[in-house]
Amino acid sequence: MLLNKRAERLFVWIFFPLALLMPMFLEQNEYYVNKLTTIMILSIFVMSLDYLVGKCGLITLGHAMFYGLGGYIFVMIAPEYEAVNFWIYTFYICAISATVAFVIGFLVLRTNGIYMIMITLAFAQMTFYYFSDSIDFGGTDGVFVYVKPETSIFGLSLFDLDNPTHFYYLCLFSLFNTLLFFKVLIRSRFGRLVDAIHENPGRTVALGYNIFIYRLVSYVVASALGAYAGYLFTLQYGFVNPSMLSWTTSGTALVMSILGGMGSIYGAILGTLVYEGLHYSLEHLTEHWLLFMGGLIILMVMVFKKGIAGFLEDLLEKRDGK
Amino acid sequence: MENNVILETEGLCKYWGGLKALDDLSLAFHDNQLHGIVGPNGAGKSTLLNMLCGHYKPTSGKILHRGESISSIKPYEFARRGIGRSFQKTNIYSNSTCLENCSVAVQRLMGGSFNFFRSRYSQKMLDEIATQALEKVGLGQRRDHIASQISYGEQRQLEIAMVLATSPEVLLLDEPMAGMGHEESQLIIDLLSRLKKEYCIVLVEHDMDAIFELSDQLTVMVDGQHLVTGSVDEVRDDPRVKEAYLGQGDEVY
Repeated sequence: MLLNKRAERLFVWIFFPLALLMPMFLEQNEYYVNKLTTIMILSIFVMSLDYLVGKCGLITLGHAMFYGLGGYIFVMIAPEYEAVNFWIYTFYICAISATVAFVIGFLVLRTNGIYMIMITLAFAQMTFYYFSDSIDFGGTDGVFVYVKPETSIFGLSLFDLDNPTHFYYLCLFSLFNTLLFFKVLIRSRFGRLVDAIHENPGRTVALGYNIFIYRLVSYVVASALGAYAGYLFTLQYGFVNPSMLSWTTSGTALVMSILGGMGSIYGAILGTLVYEGLHYSLEHLTEHWLLFMGGLIILMVMVFKKGIAGFLEDLLEKRDGK
Repeated sequence: MENNVILETEGLCKYWGGLKALDDLSLAFHDNQLHGIVGPNGAGKSTLLNMLCGHYKPTSGKILHRGESISSIKPYEFARRGIGRSFQKTNIYSNSTCLENCSVAVQRLMGGSFNFFRSRYSQKMLDEIATQALEKVGLGQRRDHIASQISYGEQRQLEIAMVLATSPEVLLLDEPMAGMGHEESQLIIDLLSRLKKEYCIVLVEHDMDAIFELSDQLTVMVDGQHLVTGSVDEVRDDPRVKEAYLGQGDEVY
């Protein structure tokens, strides 16, 4: 069984059908469609981080670097006034950011714990300052994307990225595939090693595994997916700017992942939904929304020790127990 | 000696700063024999084991595996050469089932650890080999229990099962009977006397009765120095051993 927890199954069966129907209810309201699209994109990003932090035990504070790179690589390699092919560029961006992750991972994964947090942060900040000081990439203003890619496969154009509803479905589809990918990965032979290394690295070495390689592969995969999310974000809003690379982006994603339930993967969607939902509602109520938001998050982390996902799982288990 | 030498140390030293944890140790470990290592606390027994499995690098001296120097290879390569170890403190995947614990060990030999898509439960042979390892140590019925929920003695057995699941040639066992009751110890003693017919075992243990019963070769160490090596009777009658154990009084186990 791919979804082994009841809460997980329940969530997937409720969330995805609902998300599939959502644009029909919001037909007239483009604002909400866009908002939900952003949540999907962020969920992909948070999910890739959740895999690294919660599943592999690799705590990084530099994941935003790949999110930003996804966008910047696109503006770097795509011609400015010509529509490129979405699928080909998805491949390019994932391949290039995977290469970057491979090189950086080689250095970063020599450390662990607090040192790893510092090194990942240092790399992310270096990237941040490079792009925010660079004239070629518009400094703090970033770069506009004038022409969005076209999406034809073998000459068949299925949808249009300029259409918010189409874009919404693309992101939903991507999110579903990311979830499926991680679920299959975790259940695989490779996943067995990921679990073993997370739980007891020393023992895994003593059994004859080179744990560095497994960590590196995980890091590369998660980084490439983080970059894909950044690429989608860039396409949605039509620009990149350095704030995507900022450490607050990494930090926010980490909060979302913890809120959702670390290592639960689907919890990334829950965390992002709740965080963004709170953000949206509090923003409209008061100017000092960040203050209340912080308070609420502290409260939620205290109440839901294992995140929202863990809370739901316990709830269902308790109900079954009676 | 009729049995082949599998593992050898030549002038092995380990210094922690000025402290000589292990000083100029030359030993040979033979196939199908149990080589016991005893000595008072701080004699360097665990340091020796940690070096034999590649966990520590020697300050000087060599470790030879079948005549080949392996002092400079990576820790995980020791296990690949068939040198498996168990730890002084129980070291298992405590949130997984016993079967899963052994499956991690078996999977290295079966391959496919970089397969992202194939389910970890899909291969019957892997399960069978892992189950065999559990049965060998007498944990057959505990197969699907979570490792943290079995008794302490069983966890120690599980640890040995994990090492066996890697198909080793050499077993380095660091106090497998530590903290066990008499009956549980007896289980391990029975297990080891069966295993020593097939493997080269290096056993560090404080339980003197057990080690006298099991050892084919016995080495006594004191303060990082090699004192004497020989059969159990030879060692028992050696005056230097009596002095080391009885003369100091305070270190008597």
